[in-house]
Amino acid sequence: MAPTRHLTIAVVAAATLLAAACQTDTGGGTGGTTTPMPAGKAVPGGTLRLVGGGDVDHLDPTSTYYTVTNQILRTYARQLFTLPASADPKKAVEVVPDVAAEMPTTANGGVSQDLLTYTIKLRDGVQWDTTPPRPVTAGDFLRGFKRLCNPVAGSGAPGYYTSTIKGMAAYCSAYAKAFEKDRPTPKALADFQNSHDIAGVRAKDDRTIVFTLAQPAGDFLNILALNFASAAPVEYDQYAPDDAAFRQHVISDGPYKITKYVATKEIRLERNPAWKQESDPVRHQYVQAIEVKEGVTEPDSVQQQLEAGSADLAWDLPVPTAQLPRLASSGDPNYKVYPGAVTNPYLVFNLQSKNENGAMGKLGVRQAIEYAISKVAIGKIYGGKELNTPLHTAIPPGNIGYKEYDPYPTPNDEGDAAKCKQTLAAAGYPNGLTLIGAFRNAGNHPAVFQSYSADLKECGITVKGLPVRQGDYYGAFLQNPSLAKDSKWDISAPGWVPDWYGNNGRAVSQPLFQTNCSAGTSNYGCYSDPQVDGLIKRALAEPDATKAAELWHQVDQKVLADAVIVPFQNQNTPIYHAKRVRNAMYLPSFQLFDLTNLWLDPPSP
Amino acid sequence: MTLTEIRPDAVPGRPIAGRSPWALAWARVRSDKVALVSAVIVVLLLLLAAAAPLIAQWSGHGPDDQFRDIGITAQGLPVAPNGTFWFGTDRLGRDLFVRVLYGARVSLVVGVLSTGIAALFGVAVGLLAGFYGGVVDTLLSRLMDLVLSFPYLIFAIAIVSIAGPSLTATIGVIAFYSWAAIARIVRGQTLSIKEREYVEAARSLGASDARVMFVDILPNLLAPVIVLVTLLVPAAIVFESTLSYLGLGIVPPTPSWGNLLSEAQGFYRVAWWYLTFPAGSLLLTTLAINLLGDGVRDAIDPRTERLFSRRRGIARRRGARTRKG
Repeated sequence: MAPTRHLTIAVVAAATLLAAACQTDTGGGTGGTTTPMPAGKAVPGGTLRLVGGGDVDHLDPTSTYYTVTNQILRTYARQLFTLPASADPKKAVEVVPDVAAEMPTTANGGVSQDLLTYTIKLRDGVQWDTTPPRPVTAGDFLRGFKRLCNPVAGSGAPGYYTSTIKGMAAYCSAYAKAFEKDRPTPKALADFQNSHDIAGVRAKDDRTIVFTLAQPAGDFLNILALNFASAAPVEYDQYAPDDAAFRQHVISDGPYKITKYVATKEIRLERNPAWKQESDPVRHQYVQAIEVKEGVTEPDSVQQQLEAGSADLAWDLPVPTAQLPRLASSGDPNYKVYPGAVTNPYLVFNLQSKNENGAMGKLGVRQAIEYAISKVAIGKIYGGKELNTPLHTAIPPGNIGYKEYDPYPTPNDEGDAAKCKQTLAAAGYPNGLTLIGAFRNAGNHPAVFQSYSADLKECGITVKGLPVRQGDYYGAFLQNPSLAKDSKWDISAPGWVPDWYGNNGRAVSQPLFQTNCSAGTSNYGCYSDPQVDGLIKRALAEPDATKAAELWHQVDQKVLADAVIVPFQNQNTPIYHAKRVRNAMYLPSFQLFDLTNLWLDPPSP
Repeated sequence: MTLTEIRPDAVPGRPIAGRSPWALAWARVRSDKVALVSAVIVVLLLLLAAAAPLIAQWSGHGPDDQFRDIGITAQGLPVAPNGTFWFGTDRLGRDLFVRVLYGARVSLVVGVLSTGIAALFGVAVGLLAGFYGGVVDTLLSRLMDLVLSFPYLIFAIAIVSIAGPSLTATIGVIAFYSWAAIARIVRGQTLSIKEREYVEAARSLGASDARVMFVDILPNLLAPVIVLVTLLVPAAIVFESTLSYLGLGIVPPTPSWGNLLSEAQGFYRVAWWYLTFPAGSLLLTTLAINLLGDGVRDAIDPRTERLFSRRRGIARRRGARTRKG
């Protein structure tokens, strides 16, 4: 994934991010408090009750990659930087200091003139919940980075780190090699981590951590703000990462700590006495405890509990689609819709497929399909036009490189069967063809499949359904390029939610469109174009945000000219909370509320 | 006294006519009102299912036609029953009435075909096991035990995960699960029939194994097999719905009752018709076939106990006693 980039020196505030609508906005350079002013007076106490279906993916910050887990992880694991809770959607995607004392800039010496060295001072008073409480040190963060590519439960996105930090890729491959045969016992893992260094991460002293980058990266602080880059106390060396024993001994440096964890049943967090408000600029400790009850898999029953007040928030289930119109028209103040910046779902073509004489490899066939789809009909499956907007670009709004244009216009976005037929005939398929459409057999996905199949049918394309289990869909199916090469599927409708917003080419265009046909790819159809690869390389190395945005937009144009995907819609996020939940702040990157900023009024239900 | 002394007019009413067992059975069915009503419902259902394409053509609503303008609200909600859509529409704006009828085709095809295959296979295995006995019986009986001890839903999920969901996979799974029950009954019947005098007689006349099996024993197995099949068909229909409901049966957009129920589950609070009509059809069909089977069983073999006791009988009184105890 790591692109080689050339050094271009320019003055850039490391925190410069691209917010929605492509407006540049320089982030705060001082690291003062960015906590939003709470609306009304905070009421402390009470137990926040979350109800939902499944368990966390991991509890270990190193490996957690599920936004549902992230919402509680935010309460017990801190990073150097983080995204704040803010009522202002632009501020909510701008990195602010967390354990770092301030934003590093070239002006304050935090970032070197060549933009390759980041010297970060740690905030005082951040403590682990140990007996006695112990300060969080630069060494703890270094340990966190060393755990990133452990072979037992490593980070889900190591590419962000290996492609930016000097020596990270070498460290990770050495780590993988060391345990190719050896059994990874906790001791062996800890020994490896404590005896090997990452060239680009150094604890200068207890309070200072220094990063050296391989190439300048304008999004580096975003990468440091991901949960993977959390600090790890020395006690974690005793366990295999995220094993059952680890999960019973998670140590918190945030406002809450895990006091009970029963896999697939319940999680309970209570206030962490070692945490101090003055040493945390983004979190609070309003509620007394947070309780997660699992095993309710029906969105409707969770919704009923929220409305009845017997639960406060949904843990992992969406507001039921069928309830959205009622909630919208009732003007219920507890129901909110937050603007999205995602492309979900979209149609991806398997360019490797040999079915129908390699139809998916032919530009004309793919372009014909671009014209066929009714984006309005897909939108209705997700609750209609209040909840999502038809999308015409490969990069959705709120992400770097987005600029509205419509290369395949159809009347009212409702599809154009005649134009599709005509394009298809010109591509050499006047009598239509048959494709295999893979879909997840859960939630709205079968309906999406039936909707686009009906559109394609009008155009003379028969789509044979291939149901795939929800749990297998990405990891075992789409991200397995050998299935794509074996022509097991032709089209499918996955979704993409970026890991962060703003300056996020590394989290959108690169994973989706850069040549990568190895296991775990997010370029599911194995699209490969040297021009796009070149543009991505240049964009990642471009320190000027406006110029970078232009390069990313060129990626978008080329990708759609090649008809690699059919964008369907940008989806907004509807959320419902119980009446007593106050000051609920939306975190766009989690698509959930910030549990460390809300309070309950009244505290006892 | 000799038999010739009985005068035809000694018994009042019509003269006694000799009636075959099948004629007797038919007479019993005719006098069973519940069975008759059930039979009418089943026949009606068969007709409707068979006429589904005609109805689709007449109404202009194909089973997969999505009426995105009139069949669905701007917010993506289904439309309630009205003059155009008698059963309302589904979440994609399709005519639920037409889809329920097409669903009936799938359900009946799966029910009848899978039970038919199971009956053929079950009768063959049971007959061989019962007739030959010994090692053949031991082997085949253990095979039946093995199949009967499978946790069928888990087994079905496993098979479908490997083979991929489809109509054939669904029929195969249900047939596989049902044949052993038939084989067991047939084996038991064969064991008792093959000891009868007429079979002995046939053997002593030099009839071959095949002749004895097919000419002498098989016709006597028909009654229990027919009864069992009428009970297995609704079970197969329900099983198909279960599989489809779990996303392991019929692949959409082909409608089956299980698929319709699965789609409807998120909408039961806002669109009663979405769940009610497919569920009602499923209930009505399985109930009708079950009751009809019950009637057939009574008619063919009056000694056996009924599934649902309709006359004051032993079953009911026994039930009352258990409750007291």
